[in-house]
Amino acid sequence: MPKRSYSNTAMVRSLRGSEPIAYAFLAPTLLLIAFFLISPMLSGLFMSFNKTSLSGLTRFVGLRNYQFLLSEERFLSNLQLSLLYVVCNLGISLPLAYVSASLLTRKMRGTVFFRSIFLLPWIVAPVVSSLLFRSMVDPAFGPLGMLLEKITGQQHVMLAEPFWAMATIIFHSIWRSLPFMTLFLAAGMAMIPREFYEAAKVDGAGPWKQFCTLTLPLTKIHLLIVLLTITLWTLQDAETVYALTEGGPGYSTEVMALRLFKESFINFDLNRGATLGILLLLVGLAFMISYARITAKEQD
Amino acid sequence: MNHPLACRRTARLTATAPAPSIVRLRPWSYLVALILTASFCSCTQPKHDRLRFTHVFDALAGPQHALNVEWVNNRVAAFRKLAPQIGVDLEQCKWDAIDTKCMADFRSGIAHDVVMSSPQLLAKHNLVGDLIDLQPLLNWKREEESEFSWNPMWQTCRLDGKLLGMPMGAHTRVCVYNKEMFRQVGLDPEQPPRTLQELVDYARKLTRDLDGDGKTDVWGLGVYFGPSRATFEISFSPLLWHFGGKAWDEETKQATFACEAGVKAVEFLRDLIYKYKVTPRWALSGTYDDVILRSFLNEKIAIGWGWGSYWIQALEDAGWIDGCSPPTTEARTLRAGIFLTPTSTHSQFVNSWTLSVHTLTAWPDISGQFIQVLLEPNDLLKSPDAGLPSQLSVWQRPEFQTPFFQVWFEAIKTGRPMPPTGHFEELAQSVSTALQEIMVKNTPATTTLQKFQQDYNNRYAGE
Repeated sequence: MPKRSYSNTAMVRSLRGSEPIAYAFLAPTLLLIAFFLISPMLSGLFMSFNKTSLSGLTRFVGLRNYQFLLSEERFLSNLQLSLLYVVCNLGISLPLAYVSASLLTRKMRGTVFFRSIFLLPWIVAPVVSSLLFRSMVDPAFGPLGMLLEKITGQQHVMLAEPFWAMATIIFHSIWRSLPFMTLFLAAGMAMIPREFYEAAKVDGAGPWKQFCTLTLPLTKIHLLIVLLTITLWTLQDAETVYALTEGGPGYSTEVMALRLFKESFINFDLNRGATLGILLLLVGLAFMISYARITAKEQD
Repeated sequence: MNHPLACRRTARLTATAPAPSIVRLRPWSYLVALILTASFCSCTQPKHDRLRFTHVFDALAGPQHALNVEWVNNRVAAFRKLAPQIGVDLEQCKWDAIDTKCMADFRSGIAHDVVMSSPQLLAKHNLVGDLIDLQPLLNWKREEESEFSWNPMWQTCRLDGKLLGMPMGAHTRVCVYNKEMFRQVGLDPEQPPRTLQELVDYARKLTRDLDGDGKTDVWGLGVYFGPSRATFEISFSPLLWHFGGKAWDEETKQATFACEAGVKAVEFLRDLIYKYKVTPRWALSGTYDDVILRSFLNEKIAIGWGWGSYWIQALEDAGWIDGCSPPTTEARTLRAGIFLTPTSTHSQFVNSWTLSVHTLTAWPDISGQFIQVLLEPNDLLKSPDAGLPSQLSVWQRPEFQTPFFQVWFEAIKTGRPMPPTGHFEELAQSVSTALQEIMVKNTPATTTLQKFQQDYNNRYAGE
């Protein structure tokens, strides 16, 4: 069959006439996105500027909900704890994920088996795994509690001590995030040709140098996606924190997402919940922008 | 070399456009479309011949859950006999979400008919307006009402002259103790403590290191201090009332838990852990069930403060009492005994599930009839969620004249409900959090309570 080829300009020229049709085809999707994605966000924003009494009377209060939260000691603690949660989770699980990903991409016996069981923490429902963790740190019969007692020589009621309660939440989150991060990074690392590493070895690069000059730059896009996903998941995580500590002792583990849940669904203050939602969105956006900037800068 | 995919794309571009072909659907896809359309239509069509009963559902409650489900099914069957033309749809909800769901659904225009509600939250329901007055529906005579009005919870159900809920039963709390442990330390198992000082003295004797490793194996007194509203309801409030204070003032509509009595209550509770060392620190974490129910049955605590009437079945199952669940004239205590919490009278917390009718119901009268069917006293005794009887005449039956049930009767009669604030959960949360801060961070009781009280009042004073 004779081959005919179109030049790019010819293709563009032929498509230009069909632009209105293309927009018409896109319209349903755009409408759906506007309806399901943007309208709830606008509705949340609108709610955050209002105050609804329990009897259902709504009045416009401007930025008063924001003023209240930003001047509140409890909210500042919620924000700090959310940031701490994200930073500790990523700070610990990311290096571990690179190590485990490099092991998984090596041709070793049992790799396939490990690749499958690695996903187990990810498959378990967060509330279920939180309850498992709660039993593990139980002061009477929990193995982690007993281990800590052996190490420190003191009995610790882990969920009743602010430091250990937060540490338990972070540890649980690392346990859950690690498989996802590992598999994603392993996928990226598997795409790097082995010849690159062999060439680097010939040039005298050690494992650390190979990681810095080859693995990290060549898995940047995977890293960005992993960072974004885990950051947003961690920021929005209310269920595991609630199941583990309910934000206690005191407010010492009450992260922003949990506060949002409590205000909206326990205290039934949907306006304050919406305000917290918008602030949480802003924190998430700040993370997104900074990750994108860092990646773009390094690419330049 | 061209990539095979690229070749295919070019071929698609260059080929003459074929005549548009109709997409062929497989037979099963028609079936799926039909089912989806039918289910969509059935969702959008209001069911005018079916009553919806929204009730609590706790699948993890073991045998108690099975009994609750059986009771619901029996009552539905009894109602169907009375009104065969009306079906009943059951809607299940978690105990701590049912009230918020009811209110949120009301705001969203989603109707329910009969709903179970919490008396502590009836004041909030009253402000939201999602429940209707039951008086015109029940149309009771004074004698019928007096069957229920002896229960202190009755006041909680009546707000602004409206009857928003009918108590299904009565739940209250007492102290439970291990008679065998009393014997082991030389205490008379038939003479439980009667004052707070005696309680502390007994608890000190009962706190023991059994294996000599320097660690306490049995704690004298279990009191719950975890991060939930149970801390406020069960541990703090009885002591606050005992010392003459109240958490919320009905006239000024302000929180008052940081009063002198509140400080005394907190200091008493803190001393149990740090001064007398009779209560374990792990009471600060976990759930109310873990700290009181399981710890007592596992013999980690000798006396349990705040033992609920919903746990009578658990004692019976463990063989620690006999003939109490279901109640019989032979009811007796074996390994476990109970006594009234040694605070002044009117210091027990009393509540129960209440039955209400949703404002958006299309069937208020039939909902009222259904409530009357649900309140049938003989069958209510078979539902663990309903608790102890709320009708006075039932308490006069021989099976409730045993010493075991007389303690419970006294506890209900002299009990107190929670304050009727529309922000009860926030109030309970503020106190529980303050208490945890004081216990964990060892902050001064007075200033911490005042700080939390001020925060609460800044948001909710005056309601």
